[in-house]
Amino acid sequence: MKKILIIEDDLLISSLVQFRLKKDGYETVLVKDGNEGIDAIDHQNPDLIITDVMMPFRSGIEIIHHAKKNHPDVPIIVLSSLGEEEEVVLEAFNLGVVDFIPKPFNPNELAIRVKRVLR
Amino acid sequence: MLKKTIISWCICLLVFEGFGQGISVRFQDSTSLINEIKEQESIPNLFFRFEFPFTEARGLFLSDSSFSWSKTDSSYISKPFTNGKEIDSLFLTLPADSIDLKFFVFEEKSDIKGVASYLETLHDTGDFILSEDQQRPEKDLVLMASRNHYEPLDEYRNKLMSDKGLFSVTLINILFIILSIFMIIFMVIFKKKRNQREYNIKAFENEIIEPLTTILFEKSLDEIKEMTPEMISSIYPKQIFQKRLFKKVLIDKIIGLNKKMKGDFKDKLKVLYKKFGLVEITKSNLKHRHWDNVVSGLVQVNEMDLTDLLPLVKEHSQSSNFHVRSQAGATLLNLSEKVDLKFLRDQSYPLSDWQQMHYLRIIKFVSSSKSLNIPILFSSENQSVREFGIKLVRMLGRVDLIEELHKINKQVLEEEKAELIKTYDVLGAHMEVDFINQCMTSDNSELQKEAIKSAGNLGNEESEKIILDLLNQDPDFPTRKILLRSLFKLNKQTFEEYILTHASHENLSIQAHLLDPVLNHV
Amino acid sequence: MYNFLFYFLIELFGVAFMILSFSVVIIYLTIMVLSALEMRDFRKKNQYADYQDIITSPIAPGVSIIAPAFNEGSNIVQNAKSLLSLHYGRFEVIIVNDGSKDDTLQKLIDAFELKKTDYAFHPEIESQPVRGIYKSPNKSYRRLVVVDKENGGKADALNAGINISQMEILACIDVDCILSSDSITRMVRPFMEETNRKVIAVGGAIGIANNCDVKDGTVTKYRAPETTLGRFQVIEYCRAFLMGRMAWSRINGLMLISGAFGFFKRDLVMAVGGYFPKTVGEDMELVVRMRRYMEEKRIPYKVSFIPDPLCWTEVPEDQDVLARQRNRWMRGTIETLQLHRKIGFNPRYGILGMISYPFWALFEKFAPIIEIIGLIYTLILMIIGDFSAIYFLGLLLMVYLLSLMVSSFSLLYEQIAFNNYKDKKDLNRLIWIILLEPILIHPKVVLWAIKGHIDFIIGKGGWGKMIRTGFKTAEDRKNIETQSNSI
Repeated sequence: MKKILIIEDDLLISSLVQFRLKKDGYETVLVKDGNEGIDAIDHQNPDLIITDVMMPFRSGIEIIHHAKKNHPDVPIIVLSSLGEEEEVVLEAFNLGVVDFIPKPFNPNELAIRVKRVLR
Repeated sequence: MLKKTIISWCICLLVFEGFGQGISVRFQDSTSLINEIKEQESIPNLFFRFEFPFTEARGLFLSDSSFSWSKTDSSYISKPFTNGKEIDSLFLTLPADSIDLKFFVFEEKSDIKGVASYLETLHDTGDFILSEDQQRPEKDLVLMASRNHYEPLDEYRNKLMSDKGLFSVTLINILFIILSIFMIIFMVIFKKKRNQREYNIKAFENEIIEPLTTILFEKSLDEIKEMTPEMISSIYPKQIFQKRLFKKVLIDKIIGLNKKMKGDFKDKLKVLYKKFGLVEITKSNLKHRHWDNVVSGLVQVNEMDLTDLLPLVKEHSQSSNFHVRSQAGATLLNLSEKVDLKFLRDQSYPLSDWQQMHYLRIIKFVSSSKSLNIPILFSSENQSVREFGIKLVRMLGRVDLIEELHKINKQVLEEEKAELIKTYDVLGAHMEVDFINQCMTSDNSELQKEAIKSAGNLGNEESEKIILDLLNQDPDFPTRKILLRSLFKLNKQTFEEYILTHASHENLSIQAHLLDPVLNHV
Repeated sequence: MYNFLFYFLIELFGVAFMILSFSVVIIYLTIMVLSALEMRDFRKKNQYADYQDIITSPIAPGVSIIAPAFNEGSNIVQNAKSLLSLHYGRFEVIIVNDGSKDDTLQKLIDAFELKKTDYAFHPEIESQPVRGIYKSPNKSYRRLVVVDKENGGKADALNAGINISQMEILACIDVDCILSSDSITRMVRPFMEETNRKVIAVGGAIGIANNCDVKDGTVTKYRAPETTLGRFQVIEYCRAFLMGRMAWSRINGLMLISGAFGFFKRDLVMAVGGYFPKTVGEDMELVVRMRRYMEEKRIPYKVSFIPDPLCWTEVPEDQDVLARQRNRWMRGTIETLQLHRKIGFNPRYGILGMISYPFWALFEKFAPIIEIIGLIYTLILMIIGDFSAIYFLGLLLMVYLLSLMVSSFSLLYEQIAFNNYKDKKDLNRLIWIILLEPILIHPKVVLWAIKGHIDFIIGKGGWGKMIRTGFKTAEDRKNIETQSNSI
């Protein structure tokens, strides 16, 4: 079973995403800020990371950095309300994320993208 | 102590002034005065002697040694006596009809009026106590004496603060105590309630999330539409669902989710909102007399597309309250069949950034599905609305409206020109380069800076010339920096040449800055 | 004759104290009412603000956060990281290393892969020489700018940061402050709201982080501090921020924005010449000068205040440290009032001149002195025997109850508005402090303030002449060479 790490500070969003992904048969780990996120990346060995950009303590960009440096093979999907800021999108892609989903988003769409990435 | 004496003297002086030499208040006539003296064993510095003329001299009593008579020019006079109580007994030994009683104050002969005023003075200073007062019990006496003693000061203080002051202080104190006690009790009760409420909200949130997400994923939109009231009421336990607070939390959660979701999730949430009967709450909010409730009602209408309630919303669009008015405007904009920006064009009060942000979000949202007539904003009387119109073109990326913007190039104010240029810059409107060049020499420094910046992206040879011209006019450092940056972007060769020929410290440092890879966009 | 004069003076003082104490009562009651109104409006308004919107909106202004750091090596990286993770779209973080003697700069360089750049700027506001400007080629740290400069004090470091800042709003903060992630969005709101008045500055409330759980840059659990002095400061901060500043902001008379957390309009800070490094009260002085500038230019303006708990700081619980802090505050107040003497009771300066300034002069600057005089007065009355014990006790009780009421009212505010101290035990502890404060702590505070007066008079910090002559206009500061005579 594939393990997905969800880093998101909004409980409602994260539980929704978690619910949807569980339905598809993934194992999910939920953390709610950047620090816990980095911790989980290092210790949980996820197969995929879904992360927000704006979070307490450490920005998503920093998390991507960390993940790419230490676990370059783990794909990352960015889920962000910063959708409009092209600078962030470009930066995220430059860092090698596989997908960038701006909020508001459709959890089903997210699920499809996750499936595609993990296939 | 001293003070009181001084003040009492002052007051005594006043008394003297007022009554002159007249018999004082306490001794209405000479008889009562003499009667008073008869009651006193001694009065300081006052004594009396008996006198009788020679003609009446009788050997009989002259020999009475207790009087030790002495002879004067016209009469015999006795030795001084001080004890008033002896007067009567002394008189008995004398032939009553021709004997006279003479008073002496400070060894000076004094008439009855003089004695009266002297006693008055003594009385006021407390050195003389009326016989009737003396007869009272001892304790009282002391009190009397001391009170008398303080009287003048008390009178003086009364005017300033004493009794009334003390009274008001006490009153305020009582008020404070009551208020404080009330507040502390209130605080404790309030805190308990509030903690309970927060706890409930948390609990409700947890209660809400599970079933809500399940429905959203497990049921299709049609299935949700088909749900019967029984099915709906079975989602959450009845006794909780009845609670007002629970409904409020539910509304917040549904609206919160709706903001972050896309696609059929939005529709599902909206249907659920109605199915849960939350529209009733919205309706009562809209009719509420507190503006904050009205606004929350408007937000609910807006987020949940409650078009049935639009007539109620319209009533608020001319509200005197800024928050209500702007939220009503936003809701109308969002939900009306036809997007009509006329209400914005005709707005007379200036649009704050806050409102612009608000409208922008909605316009952005509706722009994909409805056609917007942005150019009508350019003809507004209101400068801030015109500026907002120009910004909208830029932020929505409406390249098709550049021509419309071109039409207003000439007629608008300098600040708006700056917005225009920013828009041209973002949209890459190369055809407006003449306008930009023209603005580069503007007196308005904001406009000039914008023009120089965009010249770096959109400029032509003409712009280069202007930049070099401007550089030769010795601009201030910030302007010089953007000039050189634009020149650098336009033509590296010209830039290098310029630096070579003008190798000032400033120019060299700016060059270093522009070439520094880390400072690419700074 | 002399006797008479002496007693006359005693009477006169009596009347003066009477008037003073009743006006204190009235003023405090007014403040309570004003702040209650302001708090009510604020909370209503806050309910509908979509702060999420500000983060991404292109209309929201850019913010330059400027944080001076001096010997902060142990925490600087952590602090910088939490500043960089604030929720906002367009902002930069400028950390100014004010000539630290420790490894502050090196730690930053290592942690953020910083490179020294050829950043070209013009020192529009004078400051100590800048040794270098560092940025990171790593994109995730693109918001960070580190300025390394010669030591010159906090105000000087802020000035250097202001010179380099690029955004239209400046956020001047203490680097060791804990900022809530949504603090920028909330603080920029007033700047975006007004149309008929220019918002020149926005102040924020400061919370006390001592003994609280801090996680991920926000205080997660509040607890009352362990020591009496710490708890006293909780009450004091509630009073100052939730009551005092709210009331002042209601009548637009705010004169002080805490140096630990204040937002300013950059163009105006530039126009008045930045911070004035010659005073220990640089935060208050800047606000007064900016206000003065607006009054002199006759531009309608506003200084706003946000009571939300967005910023926390550790306060000194050690008596000596606290004494020094209070001493410095007093000197700062005196210096600011001296520098801007011209505005006092000057109707040209509106509320600033007619209300704020006299209030500060009487109730902040002279209050401790008045208290001491009152004490001496009472002693004299006792000695000469002209002393009414009932009266004295009555007045004493009045003052005590007033302090009780004001303090419990501000704590009530905290409970209504934010309810951060959730534990009932904490509330009880704080109530105890309210009861004891006037007896236990207040006398100390007065003494420290008196010490500040003395230090000011004997010229500690002595920029003597400048402060004695004062600024003739708000823009005067630009004409003063601050470096030349500081050596």
